[in-house]
Amino acid sequence: MAHDTAHTDVIPEQGHLEHKDYMDSHDGPAWGGGKRPFKASYGKLMMWYFLLSDAFTFAGFLIAYGAIRFSMPTWPVPDHVFSAFPGGFHGWPLIFVTVMTFVLILSSVTMVRAVQEGHRRNKRGVMFWMALTIIGGAAFLGCQAWEWNTMINEEGVTVTKNPFSTHLQGGTYLTGAEIEGAGFEKVMTETHGKTATYYLEPGAEDIEENRLFVKQNHQKEVLAGESFKEEDPYLITYNHDTHLYEPSAFKTPDGSIHKEAFGPIAFGSLFFFITGFHGFHVFSGVVFLLIILINVASGLYHNRSNNYEMVEKIGLYWHFVDLVWVFVFLVFYLL
Amino acid sequence: MADLSYEDSKKLVFKGMALLAVVTLIEVAIALVGKGYVIEGFHLPVWLMYISMIGLSLYKAYFIVYEFMHMKYEVKGLAMSVLLPTGLLVWAVIAFFNEGNSWNQRRTLIKEKNAETIDDTRKSTGSIIDLKDVKNLN
Amino acid sequence: MSVVNYDEDVLIKEQGFDDHFHDHHHGDKYQSNFITTYIFSQDHKIIGKQFLITGMIWAIIGAGMSIIFRLQLGFPDDSLTWIKPLLGKWITVNETTGIGTLAPEFYYALVTMHGTILVFFVLTAGLSGTFSNLLIPLQIGARDMASPLLNMLSYWFFFIAGVVMFCSLFLSTGPFAGGWTAYPPLSALPQASDGSGAGMTMWVASLVLFVVSVLLGGVNYITTVLNLRTKGMTMWRMPLTIWAFLITAILGLLSFPVLVSALLLVMCDRGLGTSFFLSEIFVGGEALNHVGGSPVLYQHLFWFLGHPEVYIIILPAMGLTSEVLSVHARKPIFGYKAMVFSILAIAFLSFIVWAHHMFMSGVNPFISNFFVIFTLIIAVPSAVKVFNWIATLYGGNIRFVSAMLFAMGFVSLFISGGLTGIFLGNAAIDIQMHDTYFVVAHFHIVMGIAAFFGMFAGIYHWFPKMYGRFMNETLGRIHFWGTMIGAYAIFWPMHYLGMAGVPRRYYRFDNFETFSHFSQMNQFITIAAIIVFFLQILFVVNFFVSIWKGKRVTTKNPWGATTLEWTTPIDAGHGNWPGNIPAVHRWAYDYGKDGVEFIPQIVPLTDEEKENEADLH
Ligand code: HEM
Ligand SMILES: [Cu+2]
Repeated sequence: MAHDTAHTDVIPEQGHLEHKDYMDSHDGPAWGGGKRPFKASYGKLMMWYFLLSDAFTFAGFLIAYGAIRFSMPTWPVPDHVFSAFPGGFHGWPLIFVTVMTFVLILSSVTMVRAVQEGHRRNKRGVMFWMALTIIGGAAFLGCQAWEWNTMINEEGVTVTKNPFSTHLQGGTYLTGAEIEGAGFEKVMTETHGKTATYYLEPGAEDIEENRLFVKQNHQKEVLAGESFKEEDPYLITYNHDTHLYEPSAFKTPDGSIHKEAFGPIAFGSLFFFITGFHGFHVFSGVVFLLIILINVASGLYHNRSNNYEMVEKIGLYWHFVDLVWVFVFLVFYLL
Repeated sequence: MADLSYEDSKKLVFKGMALLAVVTLIEVAIALVGKGYVIEGFHLPVWLMYISMIGLSLYKAYFIVYEFMHMKYEVKGLAMSVLLPTGLLVWAVIAFFNEGNSWNQRRTLIKEKNAETIDDTRKSTGSIIDLKDVKNLN
Repeated sequence: MSVVNYDEDVLIKEQGFDDHFHDHHHGDKYQSNFITTYIFSQDHKIIGKQFLITGMIWAIIGAGMSIIFRLQLGFPDDSLTWIKPLLGKWITVNETTGIGTLAPEFYYALVTMHGTILVFFVLTAGLSGTFSNLLIPLQIGARDMASPLLNMLSYWFFFIAGVVMFCSLFLSTGPFAGGWTAYPPLSALPQASDGSGAGMTMWVASLVLFVVSVLLGGVNYITTVLNLRTKGMTMWRMPLTIWAFLITAILGLLSFPVLVSALLLVMCDRGLGTSFFLSEIFVGGEALNHVGGSPVLYQHLFWFLGHPEVYIIILPAMGLTSEVLSVHARKPIFGYKAMVFSILAIAFLSFIVWAHHMFMSGVNPFISNFFVIFTLIIAVPSAVKVFNWIATLYGGNIRFVSAMLFAMGFVSLFISGGLTGIFLGNAAIDIQMHDTYFVVAHFHIVMGIAAFFGMFAGIYHWFPKMYGRFMNETLGRIHFWGTMIGAYAIFWPMHYLGMAGVPRRYYRFDNFETFSHFSQMNQFITIAAIIVFFLQILFVVNFFVSIWKGKRVTTKNPWGATTLEWTTPIDAGHGNWPGNIPAVHRWAYDYGKDGVEFIPQIVPLTDEEKENEADLH
């Protein structure tokens, strides 16, 4: 095939069903029968319609996400939640996920290049660009693994626990002395071989719900005394020594003492579920790409009547994964 | 790419990459600038941020489908047969979000009602509907 | 008119399409031995039969279950000891009296399995699966589906889904028992009831496999109809069956994925402790950790599939009915384009009305208003279809063969059941009627029985195509009249039960003072159900005996129909036409035109007809 061969002219797939001479041997209206009205092989049509239905699966998830988010009085602020960066950096809002997004965009670009080389029947070109795409996909998965790990193990977000939330009212975090001054008792207990220090109302049972802590962050910097406004985001620190969540005590302008509340648990479950489902698509995409790469290398497609259409079809799938990420990125990280 | 040469379409791909990257950066910038992270004290109205971010995302989606997935070069019927059905989701989005919102309101209402203290001095009138409540409702 | 004299074979040879069929079929690699011919077959005709027979097996199982729970409802005090050998521990026998009682948990399991099996395995796979496979390639003039391999896989995914569901019947805790709609919390909490544990897990596994089957089938049907129509088969020349299968496949493609979304989220609630569909809840006096979710969210997601699903069931039946009515009334279908547009309208509307199943669930009244309006609009395209069917019959030269009887029965049932739908579509009335026997009557008549009638019409009509023999006509008529009268006898009284407030999904009613005077009506319904059940066994016997013993078909086109499937050899092999693929010159409904009884689609237009066509454009 020549360089500028339009991909709409790709010869139909092998086999007896869509035979080239049969499909293309006559003129006549596109919808007149004996023709492919969309000028696309059945394989590509099937891929398109499969992707359409898969889009509805994701739509089901994302719409459910929206409904749940609308039903919650508070929701974590994304640029507060997603602000870590590899190498121990903190307070870099949305930077890491932007990098992830670039990785995925790049792998989409290399995929387009692979398809283009396929049209020229340039086997080595196809292999080169597909290999890059696979690397991109794997890199994205690696990023996601890092992000999940940070959220679960550093920040303590799980599918059933969400320490991120926003304040419903302004206030000031209290020091230990202030809490004691308000009549609470200081308690020090051993857990996991470390000492946990918290405050209880006299007579209150020593259970998670009743404990008040002095605000400190994951770097063990004490933040007591700091003030915050209504709607400011916060994170209930997960203490890695004691394996305890540490909801801090704060005082509102009217003088009453409150405790940080956990955020809607749906946040964590939806985040892990939906990004997980997307990641699963990326993962299967990488596997398919690998298989097809091997087939390309073996020369399987080179002499097929439809040439590298298989590369084109997996390309569609791969771009779809990118497409879904646009919306996942929008609803989880931007809005 | 139907009418483009190989070189041209190659260029187009890398242009596309730049475009997607830039749009993504703009989105992130809107999020960060708009919420006051970059310029102290400067905020964008929330509705403006949301609309522009949703708009830009839709543009990215359009670009991926039309350029990377080659929808632009397919027969129009094919494009419509894939794209039009997604219109069915519009009503789903409206209805589901409206529902979510109404669960929220209902829960708030229940919380408020639970917190209300009942006026013990009000003796039962024997009727199911308290006239005082009726007046309050109007 | 000179069209009367034609020789089909000559027409196909001269006008048809040479796709070098034989060049590619040296010994036909697809069908070299028994296994590839009959088991892992890639021939759409065989796959259609596989869907049909699997569906029939499931229908017998599902209907058998309904007989058991009908016995419980009609005769709650009578002994069921005689089915203990089958049901084992689910029947407890009182040692002194010897009376065997059905376990209440198992009653719910039976109702749930009955619904699931009939809706998904019988009326979706068994109906759309069978006839889409059989008819799409034959009627559009294709050798096979676009991808015979995926088509085969579609059947086998359905088969495995069935195996998983079947195995769940034998769990020690019983199969899932929370209703075919699987609402949380019964579906989301493994400890909520007996069937909510392993039973529900297997239910989900089975349905996910089933959705894979639907999607594999669906993309295939759509692409086949788009790409593989023979020369001259424009969209407006397709028989209404094909339109119906096409739209059905699209509905399935867009709605089943959302069911998968809902089921995966339910699985998270079950296994990972998330709270998508669960909020504060006590089970057995113990407070669970779940907070913040909403069971109503599940209902929304489920019915986003659920409502299109009822049309996935009924549209193929409508298509089959249209075709059979026209052939046996010897008249063109009335309002062909109106029929197509109303299918499209129904399909579109079916995606925006789902919450009419949830008026009682506390859907926000503001949004309910819209759902009421959209729902009631469906009556319009439905009425158009009904009108056209009746107009097709009007003045026809009707042949009252079994297929035709069932097609006419379909119209009757669709009218009766559709009317009650309009009652239910009004939120104000539905609040009273919801979850009563009125709803049970509505959907069994309009969906259950009507879809079965469409299917029977299809089976009696295309049996000669499938097996080269006829089914026994006398038995067919007995089957029709018995089922027609029996079905109304079963479901008509249920409207009264429902209006009196009798709730559905109750294990027994005789201990409610208000409902006790209905016990005779319940007995009557049960007896009618048993009779109808045995009539279906009669049909099954007729079906299988006719495969080997039925009257042989001697001509290719025994019904005098116009469509392409009747131009294939009586016993067509893989590839359907031995030589060329026939080309098409006219629509599928040239019956009684210019005094000619019927003109097959392969007959070229006469000069006069060409002129008329030109005038039209
Ligand atoms: C004019 C047309 C129709 C209208 C307005 C209508 C309306 C309704 C409404 C409002 C309900 C909910 C009742 C309740 O649960 O309280 C309902 C239930 C149902 N309808 Fe229809 N319907 C129509 C036609 C159909 C058709 C054609 C089918 C099937 C082919 C169908 C199948 C069902 C089923 C299966 C249910 C009950 C599902 C369940 O709760 O288990 N309906 N219908
Ligand atoms: Cu409905």
